[in-house]
Amino acid sequence: MMNYDVIVVGSGLLGLSTAYHAQKAGARVLVIDRGAVAYEASSRATGYLSLRADDPDEAPLAGMAEKLWDTLDEELGYPTEWTQKGRLWVAFSDKQLEELHQTYKAFTRADFGFELIDAQACRELIPILSPETRAGLYTPRSGHANPQRVSQAYAWAFQDYGGTILEHTPVYSVIAEGGKAKGVKTAAGDILADRVVLCAGGYNANLLEPFGVVFPVATVRLEALVTTPLPPMYEVGFIGLNGLSIRQTKRGNLHANGGPHEWVDLDADIEPNKPNTPIVRNLVRRMIEAFPVAKGAQLLRTWAGVLDITRDQKTIIHRFDHPEGLLVAAGAGHGFGMAPAIGIAMAELALKGHTSAPIEGLSLERFAGLSPTWKAEKKWDAGSYNT
Amino acid sequence: MAARGADYEVTLIDEHPQELKNMSFDAPYFYGSGLPASLSDETAVFDNVLSSNELLLECVENEVDVKIGVVAWGAFHNAPNSQHIGTPKVGIVSREGNELLEYDALILATGSRDFVPSFKGWELPGVLGGKAGAKLLTSYQCFNGTRCLVLGTAPLAVEFARAACDRGIDIAGFVEPTSKFQAGDQELEWALNAGIPILYESVILEAGGTDKVSSATVISTDGSGKQAEVECDTICVSIAVLPNVELPAAMGCEMQFAEEHPAWVPKVDSNLQTSVQDVYWLSAFNAQDDQIPRILSAVGDAASASEAPTGTTQHGARAADYINVWVAKLLEMGGSDVVLCQCETVTRSEFLELQPPRYLKAGMRHPHVAVTGGDAGPKISQDLTKRMTRVGMGHCQGKRCRDEAAVLLSQHYGIPLKDIKPGSYRFPVRPIDMSLIAAEDDDYHTREKWPHWMHEEVVPESVAGTAKR
Ligand SMILES: Cc1cc2nc3c(=O)[nH]c(=O)nc-3n(C[C@H](O)[C@H](O)[C@H](O)COP(=O)(O)OP(=O)(O)OC[C@H]3O[C@@H](n4cnc5c(N)ncnc54)[C@H](O)[C@@H]3O)c2cc1C
Ligand SMILES: Cc1cc2nc3c(=O)[nH]c(=O)nc-3n(C[C@H](O)[C@H](O)[C@H](O)COP(=O)(O)OP(=O)(O)OC[C@H]3O[C@@H](n4cnc5c(N)ncnc54)[C@H](O)[C@@H]3O)c2cc1C
Repeated sequence: MMNYDVIVVGSGLLGLSTAYHAQKAGARVLVIDRGAVAYEASSRATGYLSLRADDPDEAPLAGMAEKLWDTLDEELGYPTEWTQKGRLWVAFSDKQLEELHQTYKAFTRADFGFELIDAQACRELIPILSPETRAGLYTPRSGHANPQRVSQAYAWAFQDYGGTILEHTPVYSVIAEGGKAKGVKTAAGDILADRVVLCAGGYNANLLEPFGVVFPVATVRLEALVTTPLPPMYEVGFIGLNGLSIRQTKRGNLHANGGPHEWVDLDADIEPNKPNTPIVRNLVRRMIEAFPVAKGAQLLRTWAGVLDITRDQKTIIHRFDHPEGLLVAAGAGHGFGMAPAIGIAMAELALKGHTSAPIEGLSLERFAGLSPTWKAEKKWDAGSYNT
Repeated sequence: MAARGADYEVTLIDEHPQELKNMSFDAPYFYGSGLPASLSDETAVFDNVLSSNELLLECVENEVDVKIGVVAWGAFHNAPNSQHIGTPKVGIVSREGNELLEYDALILATGSRDFVPSFKGWELPGVLGGKAGAKLLTSYQCFNGTRCLVLGTAPLAVEFARAACDRGIDIAGFVEPTSKFQAGDQELEWALNAGIPILYESVILEAGGTDKVSSATVISTDGSGKQAEVECDTICVSIAVLPNVELPAAMGCEMQFAEEHPAWVPKVDSNLQTSVQDVYWLSAFNAQDDQIPRILSAVGDAASASEAPTGTTQHGARAADYINVWVAKLLEMGGSDVVLCQCETVTRSEFLELQPPRYLKAGMRHPHVAVTGGDAGPKISQDLTKRMTRVGMGHCQGKRCRDEAAVLLSQHYGIPLKDIKPGSYRFPVRPIDMSLIAAEDDDYHTREKWPHWMHEEVVPESVAGTAKR
């Protein structure tokens, strides 16, 4: 029987980042995934670091992540395509302008230097913006990266320190004895470790259920697309208030996600189905609305991803007392950008029981008394669409 | 015609005649970069393609709704985690725009495409695939070239050569890596009678020329290193064809590996129904010779679905072996400094070493391999190699390089092809102009209910944390 210091369930970015830091700190770490490395949300994301300026609990962790991103290539030893050129929200109508002002107000809850800028200033950042551009909300902070490269960079850097990744091996449950975590039951048998870190996306909820925990995440399918490459046009992370986020990749493709989404259920043994739907045509329409020159490109590829959203759309970082040695993390829809910081927090919590990362207010405690039927009440149960 | 004869309403969709621009992405066939300018005369092209296809004209006469020059870019049905499609539908796009067509039964008869492995100079105008060549000659009736070297001696190669000879094009020779003429004795006799040289135990080393093919260097594989310069203005790569599976694969039909082709094909029951209800796979790669009656009887009788698995068929020698020989010999003779992926300019060695693309100007701290450990699951995922090297991620959607890339991985790591997971196929199955695929039916409801990407939604005052306030 295999034996490790730490088992991480899930090889998404949260799991890989946690594993990397724990292995680097000297622990023997095993990452187990039902599928291939980072084949789910983490490699399907758009690649933004959301600064979480509207939430003073999360903003400090986002600030920590931002610093880590700036040197991540050197840290890991593989290119991530991190592009530190700021973030820009753009309004194209009166209604969106009003939303923009509300967003601005919310973003002043933390200090990330957000400012409202006029259409002309927007166009200096993104020359291809539509003539309908009304105004923007901008910060020079943060940026974006290539999710597939970032995930693989963490996986390789983890392996470079001697870490082990076990793919195509579903985890069915956490083994606990006498109030302590002992390991996991998998399709390949029991694997033991005193510390078990759950980073299995929405399936975390299933793994925690036997411990009487109502883990407040729901899983959702979202769609994304890229165009054929275009000449370099802009580098800022664009978020259109017409409902589409679009970044230009280093290769020149316009990479976007947005739009209606469908709530889904998960199974340990089956890769979650995530087909695209005809709604990609409406995504294309919105891209052309924002950037009329996109008309001259071609739609190259679409895909979808499933990701977990927490009840309050905020990160969860939690270490259980019972069973001792069990930890869980949830990215809540912005786990890509947060992953460098979440990994450090989780590794420290797992190995030392405490962390210097700013995680106050992000534990499960805030959900005390959550109704077991919260998903259905919020219409976030499987099958609900666009709610 | 058979379905129409059984009184069904039938729509027939085919992408030909393709727009010149779309042909340049080498889908479905490998046209190469030397497409004749005369293809831009759309009226003439429509005429040629239609008039050369008697069955198609017959369809038109019999009230089959024939939609040509139309691509089926995607197909949608209710499935786990996607429960809001309603009636199953196919997304189609023409030169005018796109629409969604509902269906009771969907017959996928998407045919096959060229397998064209890389060699030095294969991006030059004048290099093309056998299917492309045959299509340009017999259907589009536009062909650039007067003297053509044919790579391969399988039936496809002879079919192309015969069509070319009929139209007065010189065949400069057949290049064959083994000592056997693959299409059989009868075809060999035809070739010899036609006075076409056959270069046995040879492969191409390089296509020569500055702005287009003007010659080919052929090298002997017997170890002598003997080279011959062949004068030609076109090089027709007619090694093998592979099934066009991007539509069934992307729409979620369960796939299985057919060793002999070697290709992933949809799993079908004895009525040719795929794992997706009411979707049928009609293909020369299936073993049955009565596929059409089987499908029609199943369409007529929903209860007739059968579980019996079916085999696949092959034309002559195993295409798998032939493809293997070609790829191995081209690598042995040509070395690893040959561009494997034209869209992204990635060489064979950059690909096999998983190097990041050149434009990132970045290296890797340690070398890594594509093979993953563990007893379960595929041993190599082409999604990983694609993500890291961009081979298969370019404008052609991997249609040029994905198959050779798989064979290279298999030979390099000693992993059977069946244990290599092919890169995911995605919609649209052809690159589509953004202006054509943009939704016109972006109605009030869609617009009003269009959500902001969840994580960009502002956290309401009521749940925002209080740490810094
Ligand atoms: C289209 C899209 C765009 C996005 N854009 C952004 C963005 O711009 N910025 C941002 O910050 N975030 C973005 N996100 C969200 C982000 O991708 C996620 O928050 C983040 O990737 C979560 O990482 P994770 O490791 O928790 O989850 P995942 O990457 O989903 O990893 C979970 C892993 O657990 C494995 N697993 C599940 N169950 C089991 C089991 N029983 N046994 C073993 N393994 C199991 C899964 O196979 C999977 O590999 C986006 C998401 C999508 C889908
Ligand atoms: C060398 C050779 C010799 C052969 N000899 C014989 C023989 O002697 N006897 C015999 O019976 N058979 C023979 N065959 C097989 C026969 O030629 C083929 O089986 C036949 O042409 C295949 O017809 P098909 O309709 O399946 O495919 P195709 O003729 O390839 O037609 C498929 C069509 O679908 C289109 N298409 C694909 N995807 C899409 C999409 N997403 N949207 C729109 N359009 C799309 C393609 O462009 C193509 O026009 C031979 C084949 C070869 C290669």
